[in-house]
Amino acid sequence: MGIEPFSDPKSIDLTVDIGGIKMKNPVTVASGTFGFGREMADFFDLSLLGAITVKGTSLEPWLGNEYPRTVETPSGMLNAIGLQNDGLESLINEKMPFLRQYDAPVIVNVVGQSLEEYAEVAARLDSVEGVDGLEINVSCPNVKKGCLAFGTTPEGTAEVVRAVRDKTDLTIITKLSPNVTDIASIAQAAVDAGSDALSLINTLMGTAIDPWTQKFRLANITGGLSGPAIKPIALRMVYEVARSVDVPLIGMGGIMNALDAVEFILAGATAVAVGTGNFVNPMAAVEIIDGIEDYLKKMDKSSVMEIVGKVS
Amino acid sequence: MPNTPCGMKSIYDCKLIEQHEVSPGVWLSKLTGPEIARGAVAGQFVNVQVAKTTDPLLRRPFSLHAVDREKGTFSLLYVLVGRGTALLHRYVSGDIISVVGPLGNGFDLGDSPDAEHIVVAGGCGAAPLHFLCDSLCEKWGCEKVTVLVGGKSKDALLCEDEFREHGVLTEAATDDASYGYGGFVTQLLQAHLDKRSDASNLRIYSCGPHGMMREVARICSEHEVQSCQVSLENKMACGIGVCTGCIQKIKKQSQGCDPAWEYKRVCADGPVFEAENIIWE
Ligand SMILES: Cc1cc2nc3c(=O)[nH]c(=O)nc-3n(C[C@H](O)[C@H](O)[C@H](O)COP(=O)(O)OP(=O)(O)OC[C@H]3O[C@@H](n4cnc5c(N)ncnc54)[C@H](O)[C@@H]3O)c2cc1C
Ligand SMILES: Cc1cc2nc3c(=O)[nH]c(=O)nc-3n(C[C@H](O)[C@H](O)[C@H](O)COP(=O)(O)O)c2cc1C
Ligand code: FES
Repeated sequence: MGIEPFSDPKSIDLTVDIGGIKMKNPVTVASGTFGFGREMADFFDLSLLGAITVKGTSLEPWLGNEYPRTVETPSGMLNAIGLQNDGLESLINEKMPFLRQYDAPVIVNVVGQSLEEYAEVAARLDSVEGVDGLEINVSCPNVKKGCLAFGTTPEGTAEVVRAVRDKTDLTIITKLSPNVTDIASIAQAAVDAGSDALSLINTLMGTAIDPWTQKFRLANITGGLSGPAIKPIALRMVYEVARSVDVPLIGMGGIMNALDAVEFILAGATAVAVGTGNFVNPMAAVEIIDGIEDYLKKMDKSSVMEIVGKVS
Repeated sequence: MPNTPCGMKSIYDCKLIEQHEVSPGVWLSKLTGPEIARGAVAGQFVNVQVAKTTDPLLRRPFSLHAVDREKGTFSLLYVLVGRGTALLHRYVSGDIISVVGPLGNGFDLGDSPDAEHIVVAGGCGAAPLHFLCDSLCEKWGCEKVTVLVGGKSKDALLCEDEFREHGVLTEAATDDASYGYGGFVTQLLQAHLDKRSDASNLRIYSCGPHGMMREVARICSEHEVQSCQVSLENKMACGIGVCTGCIQKIKKQSQGCDPAWEYKRVCADGPVFEAENIIWE
């Protein structure tokens, strides 16, 4: 009876490690495109994800920007949500108990208007059961005060990362803005300040105008571009950053399917995040997990790690 | 209490049974979708993938216009306004269309057999109200239901015949006085309510252009009706409650702290709201 005729001859190792966070597969979701998981749980079992990354969370609730907040653009969309969120208390007391039901690491995206605010959110989350990592959003393009100012210079980025590092032993993932001239120098500054991993890219700042009303289409005037339109830029930035730092990267920007995800991994990302793709196909993330496994089988590879950064 | 359905929202591949133009620029399409047809309540919507490519990228939301629970089909009524609807109207019978639904909360039909129901439809707002009429007739009897349907002109009136076929009392209003009551459908509503000394057993349901619903809300609050519900059509990115793009300012129930309103998501907390809670802008 020793032989199991239907067992997979070669099992594929999908696990990855993002700065201490053990992911069962390399797929998470992009902050702000998955809420706090509750709505998406109607579509699939959240435990299937490599990690769950939740919406940007600040110390106090933020109302966000006026309507309209979104507009579709060629193969993409602009958003100016303005980081509306119910604040840290609500995350800890209402959202985390729900997320703890699932067997997937939780990464909390942290936003703030001052160094003190970032530090306090980090300190409070340090002891919250079920929180595995903090993604430091120094790059939100849609909020007038605060985070953007930090993320556009190496010094500003380093300051925020240090403030957070002082307060927590959780895995720190710094989320980089693409709205800069030299992303690699900012990446380096974040790593030097103690960031365990990096994620990129956030949205690219843009705008849209209605020629007939001669008005801006977003109440906020500018918004962040996401979706397939930004994929070539995101890939280039992942490649550039991967060559200059040693920490693991979470790549994102326009990932709609498994082959898009594979391209990011080949460019140097250890994990990937699905963002706007969730809006088009709420099952995208799970389909991408299966698709990556199929790809590895077809390419005769036994693990994800074998292909990280293997573009030539 | 919002009418939250029991049906499981999911992604379905729906087969287009057929679609045709019902009046200039307005299309009616019928699709298979047993889960959606059986699980949905009136006022809910579906999010339809109009393109198989990434441009246009996002799904388009459409109200459920009618469902046939036995046959497992549902229909949509839509106006050609842009690229997405132009793509949708080119699909032919047998094509498979990806549909996410049923989404959102439906109309609250009330729990009193004594209530009377007035449905106020403006232009394409008639789409969800046809399903609503069906549900009201089923629950309370068609004799309890009146429909006021408005449009710019006789040609622009939608679903008038369908409403009549239900057997509900149907009155039309045209802005250009080409047919029925000459004037806005909201003036027709006003005339109806002015006739009554007591409107507290009246339930009003409305869908249509923003300005029209706002006027319906004003008239209803003046007459202190039992309930006045409107269905909003804000622009959506996800349609499933995760992006907070489709927000509407809604008065806060719990008082005390500033501000006195909060943002609610039209897709997940609506699209149907009690009109008195909406902060109109
Ligand atoms: C919950 C809900 C239910 C709806 N039900 C129906 C329905 O039953 N029948 C129907 O004809 N339409 C309905 N709409 C509106 C419909 O979604 C839009 O008309 C459609 O998305 C336009 O797509 P398009 O690509 O053809 O137009 P676009 O090229 O995207 O835009 C053309 C015009 O339509 C406007 N528009 C775009 N998206 C929306 C939107 N989500 N809501 C309102 N206006 C929009 C744009 O501002 C523009 O003026 C509903 C909208 C919502 C939110
Ligand atoms: C509606 C929306 C909301 C977002 N909110 C956040 C956020 O709160 N914090 C953050 O770091 N990034 C946020 N992002 C950026 C995404 O996480 C991601 O970096 C970006 O959209 C690129 O990926 P994509 O093209 O796959 O969407 C948001 C994006 C969208 C579309
Ligand atoms: S459209 Fe995304 S939350 Fe409503």
